[in-house]
Amino acid sequence: MSKFDIRKIKEKLFLVTVAALAILAVFPLFHIVFTVFYEGISTIMATGPTFITGTLGEGGIGPAIVGTLMLTLLSSIIGIPIALAVGIYAYEYPNSRIGKITTTLLQIMLEFPTILVGLFVMQLIVIPMGSYSVIAGALALAIIMMPYVAVYTAESMSQIPFTFREAAFGLGVNRAKSVFMIIAPIAKRGILTGLLISTAKVAGETAPLLFTAGGLYQSYPHSFTQPVGSISLLIYTLVQSPSIADHQMAWGAALVLMVIFLAVFIPIRMSLKEVKL
Amino acid sequence: MKSLEYAIETRRLNISYGDNRVIKDVDMKIPKKTVFALMGPSGCGKSTMLRAFNRILELNKDAKVSGEIRLFGENIYAPGVDPTEVRKETGMVFQYPNPFPHLTVFENVAIGLKLNKLVKSRDELEDRIHWALEKAALLDEVRDRLKNYPSELSGGQKQRLVIARALAMKPKILLMDEPTANIDPIGTRKIEELLFELKKDYTIVLVTHSPPQAARVSDHVGFLYLGDLIEVGKTGKIFESPGSELTEKYLTGELI
Repeated sequence: MSKFDIRKIKEKLFLVTVAALAILAVFPLFHIVFTVFYEGISTIMATGPTFITGTLGEGGIGPAIVGTLMLTLLSSIIGIPIALAVGIYAYEYPNSRIGKITTTLLQIMLEFPTILVGLFVMQLIVIPMGSYSVIAGALALAIIMMPYVAVYTAESMSQIPFTFREAAFGLGVNRAKSVFMIIAPIAKRGILTGLLISTAKVAGETAPLLFTAGGLYQSYPHSFTQPVGSISLLIYTLVQSPSIADHQMAWGAALVLMVIFLAVFIPIRMSLKEVKL
Repeated sequence: MKSLEYAIETRRLNISYGDNRVIKDVDMKIPKKTVFALMGPSGCGKSTMLRAFNRILELNKDAKVSGEIRLFGENIYAPGVDPTEVRKETGMVFQYPNPFPHLTVFENVAIGLKLNKLVKSRDELEDRIHWALEKAALLDEVRDRLKNYPSELSGGQKQRLVIARALAMKPKILLMDEPTANIDPIGTRKIEELLFELKKDYTIVLVTHSPPQAARVSDHVGFLYLGDLIEVGKTGKIFESPGSELTEKYLTGELI
């Protein structure tokens, strides 16, 4: 009998330990969400709608919101098509020399320090052009985004069972159509998840924008070749200021960033229908 | 010089993966509009040979084919032959029922026609799909579910959907790789009954590891063992008086 009890106690102990560790791991996330919401909401309530629409001089972060949207959109337009092509190539030719090099490079690029990407784009575009710009910022973000999209694409396609590939070819469908019209759509959920995660990631990036986007908060951006601000860059600037009012404003901006992130991420993630194999 | 009484004819067919020879000097003739069962234990090369008949073996880069395979007299390994054209003429059904999971029942049957641009109008497409589903004995069961996804179908229904997908292309030959291996007994019986109907119009090559299945459904049978074609002939004759000791051992279950 006693042996039996010890076994049960051990089992319980294990369960409790694992549960405790899981809570410990998730706790910071809830803490961040709660703190940002708590601190941010009071700022936004105090300023009213102007906080979203006004310029910095009026007590608002409007230009930063528009800047984040412009940067994210343009970087997606530049990065996603190339990255999808790279991902499909890495999936389709995994054993070719270029395929192997591509896969290795993608793994390195995934973890590449983002500030170095900023420096690189500064050398490449900002210095020759003589100004920070939307284009430079978006290019830096596109470079950061591409390996995520490519790796997610290649991974989710390679998880599709080989039998579907055989079935597609067995119908006399050529290689390009098999990949684009059959295998990629079956892997749709994984590919879109990759797009979403990388878009959300670049929407919140700060370091690569420091030397590329510059910052613009007193007026709305009106040209792709002029400097632009972003919410994350604004938070970085505001927190460096000694003024308490600026810190409060940073909390408000953080809440806006978080809401944009969650509002984009959660509905799309939930609406992606899983393809049942 | 075309030998038109045969749907498929192999001449000194050899297939290897790297240094590993999996099909050795096979000469075989498969008559038109019959069910030809290719039987043998696991790993004897049956599936490999079947995949050479429509050249999807080429998806495996290591596989090398030499010799000839003639479909209705034409050597499909002759230089200049487009493998996608060969594949359009030979429908394939797989061991694991694999309708495309992201497409509806209707779209699954339509996909080959659409991607190969083989139909001109929506009406023609719909007619062809109803015809193919009817031919695969599935229409009555899915008539109200054409817009549903195949994940809702049973294993046997999925496999008949795959058969319909192949038939929609109007092939002359149906290649079936252990089509009932993952299907329950009732589904298996339906598919076997379907073979009797289909052989009126098509030549069927059925790979099976089950001698009883070969006996039930085939007109001719070939016994493949470790890449060698041990024996080939009329099913009745081979099961009653096998010409080789190996065949006899296999049929009595001594050879696994």
